[in-house]
Amino acid sequence: MNITSALIFGNNEYGQEIAKNITHKYSHITIFSLGEINKEEHSDFNLEKFDLSDDWDALRNEHDTKNSIVFSALSDESENIFLTLSLRSVFKDITIIALAKNNEDANKLKMAGASKVIPIVETTANIITDMLKKPIITEVLHSILYEDSKLKIIQIEVANEEIFTNQYPADIDWSDKYGVLVLSILHEDESSEFIYSSKTKHNYIKNGDILIVVGYEKDLDKFKKLIGGK
Amino acid sequence: MGFFTRKLVDFAYFLNSSVWYQRKRRFFYNILENDESTYKKYFDIFMMMLIISSVSILIYEVKRDVHDALNIFNSYIISFIFFIEYVLRVWIHSSISKVIIHQDEYSDLLGRDFNLLFVFKRVFHDKLEYMLSVKAIIDLLAIMPFFHELRLLRIFILFRVFKLFRYAKSFQTFSSVLASKKFEFFTLGMFAAIVIFVSSVLIYVMEANDPSSPIDTLYEAFYWSIVTISTVGYGDVVAVSPEGQLVAMIVIFAGIAVIAFTTSLFVSAFTEKLEDIKEAKTVQDISKLNMIYIICGYENIAKEVAKKLLKDGFSVLVLDNSSQRIEAAKEDNIHALNYDPGSIQSYAKLNLNFKIQVKAILCLRENDVANVYTALTVRSVDKDIKIMSLLINKRHKNKLISSGVNEILYDKEFVGLVAREYVGQPVAFEAIHAIRSEYTNIRMHELGITDRISKTVSTVSELNSTKYRILLLGIYKKDKQHFFFNPIGSTLIETGDYILVIGNHMFIKEFMKYLSSK
Repeated sequence: MNITSALIFGNNEYGQEIAKNITHKYSHITIFSLGEINKEEHSDFNLEKFDLSDDWDALRNEHDTKNSIVFSALSDESENIFLTLSLRSVFKDITIIALAKNNEDANKLKMAGASKVIPIVETTANIITDMLKKPIITEVLHSILYEDSKLKIIQIEVANEEIFTNQYPADIDWSDKYGVLVLSILHEDESSEFIYSSKTKHNYIKNGDILIVVGYEKDLDKFKKLIGGK
Repeated sequence: MGFFTRKLVDFAYFLNSSVWYQRKRRFFYNILENDESTYKKYFDIFMMMLIISSVSILIYEVKRDVHDALNIFNSYIISFIFFIEYVLRVWIHSSISKVIIHQDEYSDLLGRDFNLLFVFKRVFHDKLEYMLSVKAIIDLLAIMPFFHELRLLRIFILFRVFKLFRYAKSFQTFSSVLASKKFEFFTLGMFAAIVIFVSSVLIYVMEANDPSSPIDTLYEAFYWSIVTISTVGYGDVVAVSPEGQLVAMIVIFAGIAVIAFTTSLFVSAFTEKLEDIKEAKTVQDISKLNMIYIICGYENIAKEVAKKLLKDGFSVLVLDNSSQRIEAAKEDNIHALNYDPGSIQSYAKLNLNFKIQVKAILCLRENDVANVYTALTVRSVDKDIKIMSLLINKRHKNKLISSGVNEILYDKEFVGLVAREYVGQPVAFEAIHAIRSEYTNIRMHELGITDRISKTVSTVSELNSTKYRILLLGIYKKDKQHFFFNPIGSTLIETGDYILVIGNHMFIKEFMKYLSSK
């Protein structure tokens, strides 16, 4: 499935910031406003209005909902939960990312069917405390994760397990051999292991495992090709 | 100016400019009077131990023989220590040299002769003022057991108990609370004194000539009156005549009023002062801490930040002008003061050295106006302190920058960035998120290279990180402000660098121990 468009519910500062940060990823971004749209309002994105009447035919007809990702970012928490619930009941397989004020609301949103919840208060507090506690790590991660640095962190699915035959992940010198660092491995059963955990000394890498790798773009591309990753 | 006077003035100037003398004077001031001094705490404990041992010996010797050594200790050694303390207190109470210098400058300015008599009067007045204070009198009486041969003076050992007031802070708080109701206590005292006086005279007049009455003298009448008004009523001295009983009834009613009034005075004094006492205690506790983060405003994000900082062993102080929010902070076991973060006075009252004790000020009100105002206030108090502020509405960003904020925290941008990473690499995002949130045992840590480490470890390969099953992500060179990812083994390690490692937190601890002990 190739997701090409993003539907952001909530014409507010959160919605605008999300739209701004995902433009590189999606060809169509639409921000939905609950109620009338102020005609004088300037926006870099396509603005549409919607209501919570549970009539999603217009959305289905005008947007490729099968290839869309949805963001529930309404300011009112109860409306956001209601929106997530009604979207999930109509679009069973769509990815819904919802914003919650705190962890308590995050649980409600998960129960309502959100695929991923971003708790605003906790996320902001985590970032602030990281900036205070570990300023250098925060700066480095920020440039790796969010800025146009040549250093990237990516996930690669292994499709060519043969190159790791008879080698345990913990014993491979990733840095020397491939110029990258492998942080962790996500197995098919969704269990995740840090690269130097005890299990990585006893389990071989299999096709379908996902490696979380840090490295320079050039090295990452080479490595990706080598392990036949997607 | 005569020869003696000239020498005296010269000596005063000499003492005033002598570093050695001033240092000694400051030292004794610190241990005797300065509550902020660490030495004072130990000195106070030492003195309290002396007092307790002295009183214990007094109690013990009532029915038993005490060893001579203990007697010598009690009568001479303790008394001598108290005497030295008394002399030191008289000395540091006022500076004689300053009075002489002041008088010399004054005479010079007005072209008058140096008035030695005025100096003596001034010094005598200052010292006497101290010696006549209640605390100094108690101190003097506590020395009296030195003359233990006079049996009566032994009882003065009990005055040593009163000296405890000087050393125990809670006693001082107690007396200061009661002092706040001085007028009310005085009024009550006058009322009680009048009732006691009138009733004593009345009962004496009515009962003294009655053969069946136990009240024969004015002293007995006075004793009866006090026992009755205090509502104790031993019953050993009672009024027998109907007139005397009538007086007794009036005194009993007056006694109930006196007791009720006294109780309510105590209660109201403590209720009114309770918040002040708690506040003073918080300020005192905070002044002893280091690496403090001052959080201005205690709302949702501030609560989470404070919780996380406390968990990591940092000190947190919350300032907020809303008493409701301060109560919430106190319930979360955080040092909190109901001070306005937008007032310079609030920071002056904190008694903190911002440069040494405070790591950063976090303006975390969910209100841009309040944050701008707080940031401006803090910046006017200290030009260099790090200020971080929450931004709620993007349009106000420039105002926050103008008010001196070093780092702006815009929650919408954070959410946008998190969303960006999630839609790009969801698995990688979860992996990094798990490490950063410290949900698992895997941690990301930045380790500063100290002089000690750089002397024994000069290159990356000497770090031996793989032996500790730790992933070396890279080196951050602070002087170049550049991060070197996955450095080769021969990369030099220098003092001031930071190495960024990922691994099990136990292994990271071991690794740090290994580096520090090399």
